Amino acid sequence: MKPPVVEESGPATMLPVGSPAAVRAYVRLMARRHRSGLAGVVLLHTVATLAGLVGPWVLGSLVESLSTGTAEGEVLAAVGWYLAALVVQSAFTGLSRLRGGVLGEEVLADLREDFLVRSVALPPGVLERAGTGDLVSRGTTDVDRLAKSVREAVPELAVAVVSLVLVAGALVLTSPLLAVSALIGLPLLLASSRWYFRRAPQSYRSESAGYAAVNTVLAETVDAGRTVEALRLGEERVTLTDRKIREWLAWERYTLWLRVTWFPTVEATYALAMLGTLVLGGLYALNGWIGVGQLTAGVLYAQALTHPVDMILRWYDELQVGQASLARLVGVREVPDPDTDEGAHPDGLRVTAREVGFGYREGADVLHGISLDVAPGSRVALVGPSGAGKSTLGRLLAGIYAPGRGTVTLGGAQLSRMPAERVRTQVALVNQEHHVFVGTLRDNLRLARPEADDTELRAALAAVDAVEWADALPAGLDTEVGSGGTALTPAQAQQLALARLVLADPHTLVLDEATSLLDPRAARHLERSLARVLDGRTVIAIAHRLHTAHDADVIAVVEQGRISEYGSHPELVAAEGPYAALWRSWRDER
Amino acid sequence: MPLEPLPMPDPGTPDISTPTAFLRWLRRSQRRGQLLATWWGVLELGGMAALPTALGLGIQAVVEHDRAGLWRAGALALVLSVLQTTGCVLLHRQAVWNWITAASQLRQLVARQASHLGAGLSRSIATGEIVAVSSGDVEKIGWYVELVARVRAAVLVWLGVSLVVLVQQPLLGAAVLLGVPVLAVAVWPLLGPFERRYDEQRALGGKATELAADTVAGLRVLRGIGGEELFLQRYRAASQRVRAAAVRASRIWALMQAQQVLLPGLFVVGVTWYGAHLAVTGRIGIGQLVAVYGATAFLAAPLRILGEAAHAYSVARVSAGRATRVLALTRGTDGTGAAAALTRPGHGDLYDPATGLTARAGRLTAVVCGDPDLAGELAARLGGHLPPADGEPAGPGVRLGGTVLDEVPLADARAAVLVHDKEPVLLSGTLAELLDVPRSGRVTAAEALAAAQAGDVLGALVDGSPECAGDAMAARITERGRSLSGGQRQRLALARSLVADPPVLVLDEPTSAVDAHTESRIAAALAGLRAGHTTVVLATSPLLLDRAETVVLVRDGRVAATGRHRELLAADPHYRAVVTREDETPVTGDRPVKEPV
Repeated sequence: MKPPVVEESGPATMLPVGSPAAVRAYVRLMARRHRSGLAGVVLLHTVATLAGLVGPWVLGSLVESLSTGTAEGEVLAAVGWYLAALVVQSAFTGLSRLRGGVLGEEVLADLREDFLVRSVALPPGVLERAGTGDLVSRGTTDVDRLAKSVREAVPELAVAVVSLVLVAGALVLTSPLLAVSALIGLPLLLASSRWYFRRAPQSYRSESAGYAAVNTVLAETVDAGRTVEALRLGEERVTLTDRKIREWLAWERYTLWLRVTWFPTVEATYALAMLGTLVLGGLYALNGWIGVGQLTAGVLYAQALTHPVDMILRWYDELQVGQASLARLVGVREVPDPDTDEGAHPDGLRVTAREVGFGYREGADVLHGISLDVAPGSRVALVGPSGAGKSTLGRLLAGIYAPGRGTVTLGGAQLSRMPAERVRTQVALVNQEHHVFVGTLRDNLRLARPEADDTELRAALAAVDAVEWADALPAGLDTEVGSGGTALTPAQAQQLALARLVLADPHTLVLDEATSLLDPRAARHLERSLARVLDGRTVIAIAHRLHTAHDADVIAVVEQGRISEYGSHPELVAAEGPYAALWRSWRDER
Repeated sequence: MPLEPLPMPDPGTPDISTPTAFLRWLRRSQRRGQLLATWWGVLELGGMAALPTALGLGIQAVVEHDRAGLWRAGALALVLSVLQTTGCVLLHRQAVWNWITAASQLRQLVARQASHLGAGLSRSIATGEIVAVSSGDVEKIGWYVELVARVRAAVLVWLGVSLVVLVQQPLLGAAVLLGVPVLAVAVWPLLGPFERRYDEQRALGGKATELAADTVAGLRVLRGIGGEELFLQRYRAASQRVRAAAVRASRIWALMQAQQVLLPGLFVVGVTWYGAHLAVTGRIGIGQLVAVYGATAFLAAPLRILGEAAHAYSVARVSAGRATRVLALTRGTDGTGAAAALTRPGHGDLYDPATGLTARAGRLTAVVCGDPDLAGELAARLGGHLPPADGEPAGPGVRLGGTVLDEVPLADARAAVLVHDKEPVLLSGTLAELLDVPRSGRVTAAEALAAAQAGDVLGALVDGSPECAGDAMAARITERGRSLSGGQRQRLALARSLVADPPVLVLDEPTSAVDAHTESRIAAALAGLRAGHTTVVLATSPLLLDRAETVVLVRDGRVAATGRHRELLAADPHYRAVVTREDETPVTGDRPVKEPV
């Protein structure tokens, strides 16, 4: 059977994935951090396994004495030994599981917290370009997968390996001859497992991706309920889901086939171990090379070997899945820090772009030779058709991207060379990407200024016309908002973003369609009350509503990556260029 | 033995009266698979149970120096191993397939339900809840359904073993017969507390995951404004709460593990003790003693299955409860009762009795409504078949060519009137797939994209999907079009509605996120493409209004004025206030106040 043909590949990730060496280094770091816990778990489990080996040994010696007819007085002692061993085994099994659980949880907490610590320090430019989707899936799906690995696979494997070594050791001690006989199936197991594990990990990943793909389609159907109904896409969505189910099932069938092919060889190995110890061992005993007690204990130990081997085979896959997830978490640590200059301090408030060229890809520039001088305290509007490069220019002026050619400076210092933490005290950008964090409204505001009191918070809300609805919330500033809390409308979320900006109070603001989600009338009202608060600040506004341009000191019309018109509103209207034409049709001043 | 083909052409009509009934229904729709799995399970467990006898015979033969007996025992062990292996492998194959059958059947049911509910979904249930049924709950329900066959096999083999031992050694037989259920029940007292703590751990874990996702999703805000430390502290606290809860759960888990060693161990010791006593007094042979020990140890296998079943049932019942809740949802208006039929929907006027609005057949009508929320409600009403809101009596329905839309079957009403709401969702897939909607065929994808001024969107899409090799139609749109800007998304959605080319098209603020340059081009193209086809645009932008053949002003829920844009602008101060937004007093101080109204 061949693996199903993969039709589509997911979008390539923009963030690095940890190399095997980096993953190994990180695992070593974790092992060092939790050295004593790890040693404790292994020790406890060793005791438990050793106690578990007493049973077959007791039975073996009982059989030995029975066969020589000296068992009368031994039964009670044997039962006593067995019972004592059982109690020790139970207690230590419980303890090792508990210690293992505690250790696993500590490691997991470290892993997920380390990941977030690194994530919140990523350079803004990297976030802007890579998007946050991949990062979110690393922080959720990969952390969850790793949790399964750390909670189940790692302890089960550790336990199984310790058990395997100890049981094998017991078998060798009982009779080396028997131990060798138990191994006759080993080459078969090794060969077939090699075959299996070369195919399994990739297939299981595809299988779980296929499983998730069904949910993605379903989530979309639910999410887009209105659209689906309006466009009569219901049938199509059902067909699509069935197709995704079929693709997932193809992987399920393939992995099932892998196992159904592999399992018989595993089972045969166990059977050969059992038959080998029984028949060959029986022959040795008949020849007098070993005692019947040794034979009994040996047969039982050989059987006891199957359980740990089973566990190793079963959890090995899961470990590989965990390893892949760990590589994605570790990858975030490998994002290079931007080349910043601690000494870059602005001297003055003037933002200047000189001959700036920029492209997201080599050879495909979206901005060409842009020069722009923004005087402190002035208001500049960037207008122009979609895709002209206005937002890109805004990000360059906010220091998020470094220009490919030319320079963007603030008070003479290059913005892209300053650390992000310094840039944001000077320049802040608000775009359509508004995000309401899970938490109270107060938390959502205070992130901009942690020491702010309620009066300041309310003043900031008032500056963006938001105090009215904020007061109407069930618990005012203490209302839980964000996913799962009170839902804010997109317009309210946008006001929230602007209120944060008021609190952060940088001297230069880049507003990229920052009021586009409000209805036009409210937007204009908001812009004006905001203007009052931001009096004296430099504002660079990208807007598609012309009244924003009308209210600005200077307008730059951006077309195809270049500034095509530049001047104040009256100047541009008087110039009779494209801006003037547009303004007339908008205002109907024909 | 071939497996049943999947997915099923039709997942059937489930019994959703109770969660238990639903589980039973799922089980019954795979009767053959259940029977086969039970049979292979009996073969596997039976082989396992009989193997100790072969071992015992072998050891007895050694004790008696019976070489031929040893070979016979070896042969028996070989036969039993083959049976057990066959059973084991085929049981695995069938059981997994049974699991998959139940899981895919339920997923098909949920998908059909979601499509059926359509616009009624968002009001009645959270997206997360439906997706949870199709991911986590499906696994648990499948697990339980599959497990039933293994439980049957375990019970059959346990009864069989008890019977065999009962005949030979009544006391031992009784011990096996009674011991297994006692041991199986012994884990139950711990199961409840474990489930509770585990649920608590999972709930906290879910919260921490949500916080992580939330923090990372808003990372651009945090990096741009600050507050990383605040959010890190919050996440650390949540993460530590998960750790503490998980440790609490693992305490009980550890106790259960210890118990699972201790109790079956005590059983083995007891039985072996009695067996040793019998052996010492010569009533059974040495080989039989080994067989008794082995058989008692074997009982751990059916015991594990019974323990697993108790766990699976408690979990699956909760999941089945959630599944039946989702499957029992109704849309509110079913629209199947076809009391009326539409003839030539493109030739009738669209009339809304609630506002008094009339959109003439074949004309481009613009509707101006100061409040965007009311505009949205009006747009939705124009399509008919609104999912009923709680407690709100349905007003008189919208009529198309005199026929009340609510009385027409839902599918026909949707085919006649397409309401393009404020936030149309872009479904992921290639651009060609996005535009592949039920359509009239009059408008090509290229024409629609051109009218929506989507040229730069195509460029962005091609740039974003290297695998499409420059062909924009093969470029992929990610979920909800997240890689595109608001304006780009809006234009693609508009192109999609234009391709559909319905007899009546209602557009609610189709260009609110589009820049003025582009909007004026769209307005011109839209008027051209829809010429002669009934179109309603709810908008406040002069660029769009100027293109409309009729503009209707709706104020306080009623039609207040009708005319051309320019006429209304000149005659109606309220209209002018809404569309030019000049009713505000400028507060900037440095600019003269313009024409206050």
